[in-house]
Amino acid sequence: MIAAAGRRVGAGLLVLWVAATAAYVALLAAPGDTVDSIIGDGPDSPLIRSQIIAEWGLDRPVILQYVDFLWRAVQGDLGRSYLLQRPVTEVIGAQLWPSLKLALAAAGVGIVLAVVLAVTTRRRWARRISSVSELIVVSTPPFLIGIVLLSVFSFHFGLFPVSGDRDLSALVLPALTMGLPIAGTLAQVLRDGLDRALDEPFAVTARARGLRENAVLVRHALRHALLPAVALLGWSFGVLIGGTVIIESVFGRPGLGQVAVSAVSSGDMPVVMAVVVFSAAGFVLVNTVADLAFLLIDPRLRRS
Amino acid sequence: MRRTLTAIAVTTILALTTACSGSSAVPAAAGEPVAGGELTWAVETEPITFNPHLYAQAKARLLVWNTFEALLTHDDKGGYLPWLAERYDVSADGRTYTFHLRTDVSFSDGTAFDAAAVKANVDKLREPNYAPGVAAVQLRNLDRVEAVDTATVVFHLKQPDVLILDFVSSPQGAQVSPKSLTTAANLKAGGPDLAGTGPFVLTSYVAGQEVRFERNPSYHGARPAYLDAITYRFLKESSVRIGALTSGQVQVVEGVPATDESLITANPDLRLERGLNSGSAFSYYFNVAHAPFDDVRVRQAFREALDLDAVLKGVYRGTATRAWSVIGPTSPFYDKTLEGTYGGDATEANRLLDEAGWAARDAEGFRTKDGKRLTVRLVQNAPFVRDRRDVLAQAIQAAVKQSAGIDLAVTLADQGTATKALTDGEYELFENSRADTDAGAALNLLLHSAGPINRTGAKDPELDRLLDAAVATTDPAARSEAYRQVQKIVVDQALVFPLYAPADQIAAASSVGGLGFEPTAGVPVSAYHLWAGK
Repeated sequence: MIAAAGRRVGAGLLVLWVAATAAYVALLAAPGDTVDSIIGDGPDSPLIRSQIIAEWGLDRPVILQYVDFLWRAVQGDLGRSYLLQRPVTEVIGAQLWPSLKLALAAAGVGIVLAVVLAVTTRRRWARRISSVSELIVVSTPPFLIGIVLLSVFSFHFGLFPVSGDRDLSALVLPALTMGLPIAGTLAQVLRDGLDRALDEPFAVTARARGLRENAVLVRHALRHALLPAVALLGWSFGVLIGGTVIIESVFGRPGLGQVAVSAVSSGDMPVVMAVVVFSAAGFVLVNTVADLAFLLIDPRLRRS
Repeated sequence: MRRTLTAIAVTTILALTTACSGSSAVPAAAGEPVAGGELTWAVETEPITFNPHLYAQAKARLLVWNTFEALLTHDDKGGYLPWLAERYDVSADGRTYTFHLRTDVSFSDGTAFDAAAVKANVDKLREPNYAPGVAAVQLRNLDRVEAVDTATVVFHLKQPDVLILDFVSSPQGAQVSPKSLTTAANLKAGGPDLAGTGPFVLTSYVAGQEVRFERNPSYHGARPAYLDAITYRFLKESSVRIGALTSGQVQVVEGVPATDESLITANPDLRLERGLNSGSAFSYYFNVAHAPFDDVRVRQAFREALDLDAVLKGVYRGTATRAWSVIGPTSPFYDKTLEGTYGGDATEANRLLDEAGWAARDAEGFRTKDGKRLTVRLVQNAPFVRDRRDVLAQAIQAAVKQSAGIDLAVTLADQGTATKALTDGEYELFENSRADTDAGAALNLLLHSAGPINRTGAKDPELDRLLDAAVATTDPAARSEAYRQVQKIVVDQALVFPLYAPADQIAAASSVGGLGFEPTAGVPVSAYHLWAGK
């Protein structure tokens, strides 16, 4: 048991290291150097350049800068942002909770909607309507969903505020915007799983025992159908992180996505590295939880 | 011999009552000013720093003057009004600027504002690794700052440089409490722990969301701010900003694209105001260092090939102001006589190109010379592309192809790629606008042969001489004359193709009073002037 946990942690650390290194190499390979990024479209002269190089220690060999980055990261120091002039832990730290809150709320919306949809729309016509709407939601850019939701529920009916990370009501629209496409995908997978499970011999046995169809569905088939859905949810966490940037800019919410995009486009290396490390850590964590959820859902896995 | 340049002392009382004002606001439905209340203002741009010394975004200027103030401020005629300094003298040789400071001012953290504070600010700016851009550009001619007594501070210059007045009126020259310069946890990022003398105090900042200012109860001005507090929300999407305004969730928005203006003007409860920015016009700079733009005829041909009025009308729906000079039309140095003197003559463009040897055409209809296509490359730096400048480039691309067979190749690149192309000279056109309050500061960077962003590559001794002369004198007439000649050379030589004058738009509920634009800078005024009417 301890060995298994150790392996898991080891693999997680390896993922973190590979992600951080890959991001580092990618940024180095991108055209333009750090000094250019810091100068931006401001005045540019050899004197200004030499001062910037001295300030950030950019004249050291790349490999030394890399090792230095890793060594400080291990100690919990992610450096200072070139552009925002603040410690990266502070930049990221302030944005972490709003992002996490949104991701969790969106995942919650996605799961609840998907289960409700998959279970309640077993009849032919309901199933068709639901299936088509799911497809529409999945294939619509989240940006558009966000604008439509805002126009209707915020600008027209004034039910929810447009922006910010304030109270629960400000979370509703962004969570819906992100949660709907997840619900669409999950519902399709769940429905397929339910179809398959209901054809299995155990479903026939359950019915033969006199169980009503709804009970067969919820107590037996759903459990089977959940397995692929949980795996998908673990994966979709990555999509969630990537998707937050659009949601954040539409709703004026703080969050990691905005920070990541501006850091990448302006070559703010320390911030990019931190975002990558945090996202990779989140991804590892969520997928570990998903693996544990497997054990919970399927008793057969516990025995082996 | 010292002479007092302006009869500043006389106007002091008057100016102080409207400190940093001159806002062109008209009393709208908001009625007479009322004290109290709060406003929420949706802005497009989130500042990268709240430290005025490191200010670099014209879009962030409206926030700076809430918490900070400068020694002087611009009037609307190219002169200066007193602010934290009551008046100033310039020595006859133009190398000594003496500022007489107000003695009744203190920073919001209780520190007194005096000559030592001014000196501490300038010394800080010249510290290595703090603000290299300011030290190398605005303060390049500064020798030292001397605090003579508590109310008198002297700037000793190495050579005459009238732009020092622009500096002491700029956000970079704003006065930060010397105490916070040494104790602030994140000095370069700014924020609540940086104290100024302004009418508001920055009380909270949530990155990615909003920044909030509350009234400074001990403000030294003739009256405290009208508003109790103001919150600026960062909403990047223009449709979301407009929606937030029309649904009453915010009372003011900044940044209204041409496509959305009708939504505001059609609504009787809202109003729209537009102000042209200062500095240089948004222009294409011709790279004269290599072919084809090393030939003045090809540069002129490009200018003639484009019916700019039609293109601007198409892209901006008639809301853009065409530029005729590299200097923006609101600048006191703008030469109005240049208007209508060139451009939009396709026949002339084709004649010039034929004459320059680009007479043949290839299969796609582009002009060629010695088998080489007439291709000019424009590299757009993505993080700085705004105002639909990418769409504008596409419209120009189509127009010059059709009228004169010029192949304009537009690349929208990330910052690293764009900078590399510029450094390597892999471009024929460079686009830029600068929001400097004194247009001369922009021209020094863009046109002087030693200018840090001289992307035309032009090295014209006459231009250098005129640019140097224009900052060596404090006489507005002499400066105007020098800049008139500069503009003439730029147009005659076709070094720059001015396109439009960048503008700011504010849309607001009609209950909001005091809205307007800062004189000279042309950006929205700070919250000091605003009130929340009924």
